[in-house]
Amino acid sequence: MNETEMLYQKKLERYMTAMDCGKPDVVPVLFGIGEWVVKYKGTTLQEIYYDLDKSNSIVSEMLPDLDFDVFKGGPSLWWPPMFDAMGSKLYKFPGIGVDENSTFQYNEQEYMKAEDYDEFIASPTEWLVNHFLPNISTELENPGSYRSTVALIKSAAAFAMSGGIMGAAWGKWTVEHGVVGQGTGFTKAPFDTLGDALRGMKGVLLDLRRRPDKVLAACDAITPHNINCGIAGPGGADTRFPCFAPLHRGAYPFLNPHQWENFYWPSLKATIEGLWAKGKRMLFYAEGDWTPYLEKIAELPDKSIIFQIDTTDPKKAKKILGGRFCLQGGVPTTLLTYGTPEKVKEQVKRTIDELACDGGFILDAGGVVMGDAKQENMIAMIEAAREYGVY
Amino acid sequence: MSEKEKLLNPDPGVCVPWEVKMEEFGEFPGNEAISKKEWEKLDDFAYNFIWFWVQR
Repeated sequence: MNETEMLYQKKLERYMTAMDCGKPDVVPVLFGIGEWVVKYKGTTLQEIYYDLDKSNSIVSEMLPDLDFDVFKGGPSLWWPPMFDAMGSKLYKFPGIGVDENSTFQYNEQEYMKAEDYDEFIASPTEWLVNHFLPNISTELENPGSYRSTVALIKSAAAFAMSGGIMGAAWGKWTVEHGVVGQGTGFTKAPFDTLGDALRGMKGVLLDLRRRPDKVLAACDAITPHNINCGIAGPGGADTRFPCFAPLHRGAYPFLNPHQWENFYWPSLKATIEGLWAKGKRMLFYAEGDWTPYLEKIAELPDKSIIFQIDTTDPKKAKKILGGRFCLQGGVPTTLLTYGTPEKVKEQVKRTIDELACDGGFILDAGGVVMGDAKQENMIAMIEAAREYGVY
Repeated sequence: MSEKEKLLNPDPGVCVPWEVKMEEFGEFPGNEAISKKEWEKLDDFAYNFIWFWVQR
């Protein structure tokens, strides 16, 4: 085993131990090179999004100087050519629709109409192909036409191409720098699948009043697919690593407690339990505040999730979930944008003191680090973690 | 709705079940397992492509 392989094994061991609620040699540190890096590299966000080779070369250049354990990835969250090929209405990407240095914007619409519920529930995958894809794509407005067929060919090719490019980049980072990836597989809460992309916030909130049975039936129909999504894709079946699940409408106070308990939670819980039955843990990426729901979340099987602390009360999270579930996060993203390296270091120390004492903790930014974060604050976060994170 | 277009309601990870395709092949003198395995791999890839759009 060479030096890089030993480094990989050491970092992997830390990560695995913490996820299983144990105490590694040091507090594992998660890190991502996000959109914030663009302003330090003499490029534009558009270039970073469109040119995966450029984006990956920036990551390769930076990795040797960064000391962390688990990598969240580089700044390219999407590959817009795949969306452009379809004429996708879902996003505005930097350079097209928004300024070349503005982050992407999601264009939320009712891409599924209220009257579509029954057909969707009867066969979700077929409904997505026959109706959702044409609804979200200008190029698919006339299914079967030349433009439509070419668009599908190009977009599917882009899906494969980007997967190949990113797979090769991760392989290189692992072999050359001992990088451990955060996770494999991607899924969501069924209510979020419905509320984010299909019905939209306004649509799904009206549905809770006007057609609650349809909402529940749709969530039930989505659940087996979301279990599958968590273990799908490159490496998804590797149960050492968690699947990523960004959670949206379940954050307090989008829904009232009755709605959360009856509409949001049952299908998310079933998804988590379904994944756990296959040995797959979920990174419960609790964006926003989930404090009122901690007791319900504690009903999950031990170790079946890693709970991300964004603006959830960290002390309550530790008290209610600690010991049974790994906790992760603790550094507010606003601090990484508006704070100073000194303030970030103080926060890291406080977070480690409060959350890491008996293991089962991974230090990370609370949520998605935005493009206006300062590099010096990002570096201060991982330096402080190494300074204060020794057990 | 033609026979080919009737609702399949495929399981997670599936677009067109092998069993459906197998019936359409009719005579299949070769080793079914070899063809089935590759059909299902590609079918799973297509399924992931379809669900990619709704899971963002």
